[in-house]
Amino acid sequence: MGEVTALNPVLRVAQALQEPKAVTVRRDAAWKLYESLEVPRLEKTDLRRVAWEVGEFEPSDAPVPEAALGYVRELAHSYALVVDGRIREIHLSEEAKEKGVVVTSILEACDAHPEIWNRHFGTIVPAEEAKWTALNMALFAGGLFVLVPRGAELEQPVEVVYVWTGRTFSACSRSLVVTEPLSRLRYAETTFASDGGRFVNSHVLEVFAGQASRVEIATADEWAKGGIHFVTRRAKAGNDAEIDWVVADTSDGQAVETIESALVGQGSRSFARVMGLGHGRAHVEITASMRHVGRHTESEISMNGALRDRANVIFRSCTQIEKGAIGAGSEQHDRMIMVDGTARADAIPMLLIDENDVERCGHAASVGKIDPLQVYYLMSRGIPQSVAVQMIIWGYLRDSVEALPSDAMRDLVVSRVERELAR
Amino acid sequence: MSKPDFVVRGLRVAVEGKEILKGVDLHVRGGEIHAIMGPNGTGKSTLASAIMGHPHYEVTGGEILLDGQNVLEMSVDERARAGLFLAMQYPAEVPGVSNANFIRTALNARRGEGNEMPVLQFHRRLVQKMKELSIDPSFAERYLNEGFSGGEKKRNEILQMAMLEPRIAILDEIDSGLDIDALKIVANGVNQLRSDNIGFLIITHYQRLLNYIVPDVVHVMMQGRIVKSGDAKLAEELEAKGYDWLKQELGIEDETVEVEA
Ligand SMILES: Nc1ncnc2c1ncn2[C@@H]1O[C@H](COP(=O)(O)OP(=O)(O)O)[C@@H](O)[C@H]1O
Ligand SMILES: [Mg+2]
Repeated sequence: MGEVTALNPVLRVAQALQEPKAVTVRRDAAWKLYESLEVPRLEKTDLRRVAWEVGEFEPSDAPVPEAALGYVRELAHSYALVVDGRIREIHLSEEAKEKGVVVTSILEACDAHPEIWNRHFGTIVPAEEAKWTALNMALFAGGLFVLVPRGAELEQPVEVVYVWTGRTFSACSRSLVVTEPLSRLRYAETTFASDGGRFVNSHVLEVFAGQASRVEIATADEWAKGGIHFVTRRAKAGNDAEIDWVVADTSDGQAVETIESALVGQGSRSFARVMGLGHGRAHVEITASMRHVGRHTESEISMNGALRDRANVIFRSCTQIEKGAIGAGSEQHDRMIMVDGTARADAIPMLLIDENDVERCGHAASVGKIDPLQVYYLMSRGIPQSVAVQMIIWGYLRDSVEALPSDAMRDLVVSRVERELAR
Repeated sequence: MSKPDFVVRGLRVAVEGKEILKGVDLHVRGGEIHAIMGPNGTGKSTLASAIMGHPHYEVTGGEILLDGQNVLEMSVDERARAGLFLAMQYPAEVPGVSNANFIRTALNARRGEGNEMPVLQFHRRLVQKMKELSIDPSFAERYLNEGFSGGEKKRNEILQMAMLEPRIAILDEIDSGLDIDALKIVANGVNQLRSDNIGFLIITHYQRLLNYIVPDVVHVMMQGRIVKSGDAKLAEELEAKGYDWLKQELGIEDETVEVEA
């Protein structure tokens, strides 16, 4: 291992967190990478005007905002509360304790679970991948390590609640989730963010789904105005593993988000449902990606969006079938409706196929306005126009919302969506 | 509650700048069933749509009054809450909105804030009405008309009517595409509602339905006008002799709406 040579800001973070040296070494290398990597050109998001500022790290003892606190108090399942990157509270349900589930700080796991940590940490979302993943590795303030032992099937979700208060530094956190063979986990990440300064923020989730395990990953993000938010969540599937995503995004501000299943294991499967509600002047780009590597892998992507105000939302569904991934099957559906004529929607389906022996590969994308004849029909039964419009939009979004793993999460997303639709 | 009183006077309606209805008069009171018959393309659906306020149809003249109130000044939802109901020839499909949720929202909108029907009472009523109309219970949670067969859509329209208890119900080709059993069920649904509190306007181009729902008045529509009115016997006469007989009698060559260039 090399020497830690950097001064700020890595040293600042490392000293404040008193972390294992192995982590600091990673940070140091990643910071150099971050500084050397070019700003990439994204097709739909202009990064030229991004100030790549990271601010000055301070361990935060900010009070938890009322909304987030109220939400956490309602949770009946296992959760961790993470404020400005630092873990404030970990609560394990009886079920999780009985089944031997580990939920701990990702920094502590480096020493406590070295074998698993070393095998997966930074391998599923490597620092080298992009300027913002390098940034995350260099400056992440914390996150969770979740391990579900072999054969343990968890009914209730394990949820990480991320709270970002008004900050003086980049919001960076990363978690690692590992499910051992034949286990089952419903994992969730929920974000409460206050308007976020001018910084570049980067959030990472790495998931490894062991052989024949099943992981459902649900996210409810609401990034706020200010700065830019990069979100990279990726799950890698072992043989016969199953990975399902439910993404419910109601972000404001500027965000570039990716969820991806790397279907490396033979016979692995993944289904991603994405629901996005754009509002205000939000510029949100969400990519749902399926990378078929193993044989006989299957995937489906379903994205539904509704847009208000001057929001610009980009949905990209990307299916990649690599050479050797014989017998792969995939489907994509994107549907977006513009509630207000001032909004802008882009639905971009992408198929990258390098294997001839493919089972099936379907895609459909549509962008449209609310159908006035649907509105007329509902109104003809006495339903006021504004209510009719809301019902139709909910019709687009409800499948994803219903797939969320807890009442608390569903209620939260419903209230976030209703707040924007009822205006 | 007073008997419904529904008046259409000198109604003219245009679609995309073309005049389709050229002066239609009707007077339907509670307890009455009026049938409007006529071949395809004579303006029957245009009349129904204009009464309900369909956005594509522009009223260019005449008036519509429900219980003395000017319907033409009301938005579509206000018309419905005032008691108008149209069972549509081609109802829209609305994915993601369950039938039960839709009907409950509609019913409560009609009953008004503070007077909503309790959920359990609503479901009991819904189940009861669905049974009467031989509708499968799974209908309640299916998405509104999505993937419904033609016959299922028609029965769903009647179910909504039965739940909403309108003052004036207009049924546009409710019989098309129904086999005889389904037709009887639908007719039975209408007959059960029959009372002084509701007036019906039943649009059809076959006499068949009128064997099961006996009308008080029969109107025949051609060229965007009512060209003849009579009692139930007129429908039987039309069935026996066909529309050509009437066309000859009235000296009409082309019964469809002719549009002047
Ligand atoms: N939405 C519409 N757009 C254009 N033309 C229409 C529309 N609705 C009706 N028409 C025209 O109006 C005439 C009458 O149609 P309609 O009222 O549907 O007749 P019916 O119900 O008696 O078969 C037809 O010539 C039809 O082409
Ligand atoms: Mg018609």
